[in-house]
Amino acid sequence: MKFLLARQAAVLAAVALLPAAGEAIYFRNNISWGSAIAPSEMVTVDQARAWGDTAIWVDARPDDEFARDHVPGALSLNEDRWNELLPQFLAVWSPGKKTVVYCSSLSCNASREVARRLRKEAQLSDVFVLEGGWEAWLKESR
Amino acid sequence: MNSTPNAQRPTLNVELATATSASDIKNRTSNIIWRILDFVLAGIFIYAGALKAIDPVQFASDIDNFKILPWPVSVALGFYLPWLEIFCALALVFRFLYRGALSILMVLIVTFTLATIAAKIRGLDITCGCFGHVSQNWSFPSHLATNLAILAALLALGISNRLRKPL
Repeated sequence: MKFLLARQAAVLAAVALLPAAGEAIYFRNNISWGSAIAPSEMVTVDQARAWGDTAIWVDARPDDEFARDHVPGALSLNEDRWNELLPQFLAVWSPGKKTVVYCSSLSCNASREVARRLRKEAQLSDVFVLEGGWEAWLKESR
Repeated sequence: MNSTPNAQRPTLNVELATATSASDIKNRTSNIIWRILDFVLAGIFIYAGALKAIDPVQFASDIDNFKILPWPVSVALGFYLPWLEIFCALALVFRFLYRGALSILMVLIVTFTLATIAAKIRGLDITCGCFGHVSQNWSFPSHLATNLAILAALLALGISNRLRKPL
């Protein structure tokens, strides 16, 4: 009986592999297996600084962390107050400008989520995630 | 002398027939109810699987948010788990590989639930991704209640499957 159950489960598990493999091939350009963010969507502190005035810095950290300190000229845009802060960001944004989103460190997710929503919901292109986040900025600024 | 037993025989037969018929109706009704539950659960898993299969990149990101698995594993599961859910749900509908499907779905729902609880304990404010972005704004108690209700229904189906007669 247990053998039958295991065999049934194994057949289902094997069958599900086929469409999954097909989908992995279909989406191969939309996702990187090496990093949560596609390399083309990442930017280092030095690269972002080199963009100068064409870059808009977006701080995806919570309000209290933004209030404590942030990249000079950065706008706060976090998911807690998304609907309230997005219009303020869009008022500053203009076509051709690059958006650099950061959160606290390499392991935080907020910048990735904010960048994803800017691309998907606000339909913006040229949205990048700062590699290493605020920690990397502080390190490079010393 | 034999008239009395002979006279009783038709009555006994009628009683037996009536009892058998009542039992059949009861079994039939019970089987129909279990089949409805099969379809309801299958519908839930097909819906949940399809939402994630449409956007596997987002689902991989949702899995990664739990901070339990390395990114490449999250990507692989992001592609694989939605289809596993869909095929298991179809197995419930067609009653083909039925017990294997029930077992896989139980393991999946228990894993999702434990991962959600672990994330909550670790203070991670995340969506479980169980129903794609539809479940993004669900509270932790809603997630837990939904998962436990699905698990209870799967367990009930597993137990009833051992006891019930075919339709």
